[in-house]
Amino acid sequence: MNERKLLQLEMDRTLRPEGERPSSTTVMTRRTFLHKSLCYGAAGAATYALLPLINTMDVAFAADGQSFRFAWLSDTHLYPKSLNTRFVDKMVRAVKEIQGMNPPADFLIFGGDLAQLGDPVELKLGAELLGEIKIKKHFIPGEHDWYLDMGKTWSKMFGAPPWTFDHKGVRFIGLDTVSHGPDYWTARKMTPQERMGHMATLDGSVAGPWAGLGSEQLKWLNSTLSSWGKDKPVIIFSHNPLYEYYPQWNFWVRDWREVHEILKPYSNVTNIHGHTHQALYNEIGKLRSIGMLATSWPWPYAPEGVPVLTRPMIRADPGDHFDAVGWSSLAVSGMARVEYEYMMWRKEVFATAPVDSGTEDNRNQILSPRIADRL
Amino acid sequence: MVSKKNYTRLAIVLALVSLGLGMQQVYAHKEPHALDQLAAFEQVFMEQVRVGDLLFHGDGDTQKNLNVNLSRTGMACAMCHPFASDTHPHEFPKFQEQMSQFATLRDMINWCIEKPNEGERIDPDGPAMKALEAYIYWSNRNSKLDPGRH
Ligand code: HEC
Ligand SMILES: [Fe+2]
Ligand SMILES: [Fe+2]
Repeated sequence: MNERKLLQLEMDRTLRPEGERPSSTTVMTRRTFLHKSLCYGAAGAATYALLPLINTMDVAFAADGQSFRFAWLSDTHLYPKSLNTRFVDKMVRAVKEIQGMNPPADFLIFGGDLAQLGDPVELKLGAELLGEIKIKKHFIPGEHDWYLDMGKTWSKMFGAPPWTFDHKGVRFIGLDTVSHGPDYWTARKMTPQERMGHMATLDGSVAGPWAGLGSEQLKWLNSTLSSWGKDKPVIIFSHNPLYEYYPQWNFWVRDWREVHEILKPYSNVTNIHGHTHQALYNEIGKLRSIGMLATSWPWPYAPEGVPVLTRPMIRADPGDHFDAVGWSSLAVSGMARVEYEYMMWRKEVFATAPVDSGTEDNRNQILSPRIADRL
Repeated sequence: MVSKKNYTRLAIVLALVSLGLGMQQVYAHKEPHALDQLAAFEQVFMEQVRVGDLLFHGDGDTQKNLNVNLSRTGMACAMCHPFASDTHPHEFPKFQEQMSQFATLRDMINWCIEKPNEGERIDPDGPAMKALEAYIYWSNRNSKLDPGRH
């Protein structure tokens, strides 16, 4: 058994005691929100049929009956307009639809990877496009936003995480899981562009296990939660998932054990994350984690480590822009407490047969990590 | 990087190869292989894997050297296929829905160059294609042959 498998077993053993499930007082409905009319409306709009765009969430708390909705947008990966307009077009649409929500969302979370290479031109383009959204906006960074100038432009434009606020009985927390990477650039005398280039290579090995909270932020998380009731609802936003899915692509935070140690006493925590560009669902102990979709492009499921509770989305066909347009309404089986639903701009969101699934079609695939960037 | 020693090995291999081409008969298998000869074969292969990896990750210099333009969107193959996932070299040849035809891995590489990448299709027998193929196969070398799987 390899080291990864052992780690995963350990995670299961220590963090998923028998019978332990998240609190049932939160009912969450997730849907990806796209208007058919918009798909057919503007010329060319229909060419983006493939990708799910925004994620909206209905959060209804049985306890005090206050329900509300907020929107999540992430992983837009903007290049300068002159190089790539596809990503711009998709973000423009998402922005329009968020602004068009009726009733309006209470706020928007931007979940990181606004830019592709951290270029101020890209970040400014992103800010300009987001300017069309008039509701309150909260930002957490992705690695693509950060490693050109170590977050200088980002922090100036969008403020520095971590942050917290309370809204209608929920404590919201925004984390920074990207800025604590080990220094791989100084000794090798890299230019900022080279540093960014390695960070922007998902399957590269040079940047190493960069995703994490770091000890300062762990302390902050601990004290931020300690003033909140153990059974009161908490929603934590992070760019990376707060559990170990696939470390080689930083589909994790390296200090997940410490995070879970801190979260253990709280019975009603939901983590919402970006970075993985795919539909994901996991429960560990009392923590539930939901992976959000990108507007830019979908990533294949990792060759191992996909949480068993995830209902995989259907394989993407990059060539058929009109593929499966429409709405979908689904409930995840075996999870009466959390009801979540995608309404994505394609006929089917989740695979019903193995052959169509983003995980099961790789039946005989065994991948080996690259070596070229270590030669 | 290729070391001096490896260059010598490479030279031996190239000499062997040109010898084989120049003559009617092929001599390569008549004598037992020496260890450093095998190492040199491996070296030739891994160099192709390395070049293919660079192409797959969008390296500009390598594309220029080989006179190919694999993408006009800024996107590299690896952005959708990390570790060459989902390229499924072990499944080819197969009927390819996107093209409505029975297709090879090389057909599909060119398809992805032209469609999602909006790049320029490459010579199906040229050095860039061979290098991409080397990288994709190497990354999937433990996959189980499964030709025809959709
Ligand atoms: C925007 C994303 C994207 C980019 C960029 C991209 N591909 Fe693909 N490619 C896909 C998707 C999605 C599939 C379909 C995978 C499936 O059906 O399992 C695919 C399929 C393939 C397949 C066939 C796999 C099969 O089983 O049918 C090959 C080979 C391939 N790509 C190679 C490449 C190469 C080489 C490049 C770079 C020149 C590239 N791709 C760039 C998204 C992309
Ligand atoms: Fe991303
Ligand atoms: Fe990311």
